Amino acid sequence: MTAVVTGAAGGIGRALCRRLGQAGHDLVAVDVSSRLEESVAMLDQEGLTMHPVQADLTTIGGVEAVAAAVRKFGDVQVLVNNAGITRDSRLVNLSNDDFKAVLDVNLGAAYRLTLALVPMMGRASIINVSSRAYLGNFGQFNYSMSKGGLVGLTRALALQLAPAIRVNAVAPGLIATEMAMGIPDDVRTRMIAAIPADRMGEPEEVAELVAFLATDASSYITGEVIVIGGGRSLSR
Amino acid sequence: MTLRCASPQLAALLEAWRDETSGLVFVADDQTGEAWSEVAAELTDAFNLTQQSLANGLAVVFVVHNDDLLGRNGPPRAMVAMGLLSATRTAALEHRKAGVAVNVIAREDDTEPSLIARWCGILMDGELPTGELIHLGSEHLGKALP
Repeated sequence: MTAVVTGAAGGIGRALCRRLGQAGHDLVAVDVSSRLEESVAMLDQEGLTMHPVQADLTTIGGVEAVAAAVRKFGDVQVLVNNAGITRDSRLVNLSNDDFKAVLDVNLGAAYRLTLALVPMMGRASIINVSSRAYLGNFGQFNYSMSKGGLVGLTRALALQLAPAIRVNAVAPGLIATEMAMGIPDDVRTRMIAAIPADRMGEPEEVAELVAFLATDASSYITGEVIVIGGGRSLSR
Repeated sequence: MTLRCASPQLAALLEAWRDETSGLVFVADDQTGEAWSEVAAELTDAFNLTQQSLANGLAVVFVVHNDDLLGRNGPPRAMVAMGLLSATRTAALEHRKAGVAVNVIAREDDTEPSLIARWCGILMDGELPTGELIHLGSEHLGKALP
């Protein structure tokens, strides 16, 4: 059972690798950052083996490097498109470079990698890590557009690839990653106060949801978006 | 009014509003190809035109196809349609205090272009609604909420 996880060096990515590894998958862990080695070492201490591929998925070469690594393992059963970046700014001040960078990484990379790996899939599950920001989020025009695009990609692929391959999206809200901890304390406190669950989510909670969507326990679910945001989509 | 529309029939109808309203009408291209570069070009075009319009305090209306919101016409058109909807919600949030509206119209195959043109005029004419998806048809009923 092979699982491919992108963005594997980040907080959610590392939790995804741990959870899918615990479920018995051979893990192909992809990230552009050299910090990928930290994830490999950390999970190795826990007895989980990852096969790292340091690659830039916005390039054809990067996608080909992942495909080549995956071929060694045979069919892909799980693909988690988790790689993502932010370049936040109000729309009126947003630069072309920041717009393009976020779109290429968050949406373009997922599209290109999925097209490359689908021929290696039999019965499989694809999970796209979108964001609650696809519902709209101040200062994130580029990010919310990219994450909404991921929802569109999820729906189209779910229709195209059924019944063999299921495609779903998860949309995390504020999750306790390094990115979230980089938010100024007072701002983060206000953000948490608006979450009915009264806390940030944990990367492991996102991983648990993804793991569910990766298994046959969710075999009747496809083309859906599941928001995991502590109720933030309802509160003021 | 700034108009980005590949359909000659709809463009001709929207032209009639050009002198009466100010803002941007951006009609998503039905011919977006499979290559990522084409998707990126369409969304980049939307970004640039939206940024210009809102910087000038002028409303924005995107027109997409309901089938594209539901992914029925393949990934490229779905990525564009849903990307525009999410961007609309964010742009509307950022400009609500300024009273500048940003909305999306979802059309269907048999939606009369004159109806689309009329709604574009309505949506560019006031501060509200904003951040909304207006379905001009009934094919969305019983289907996924975008």
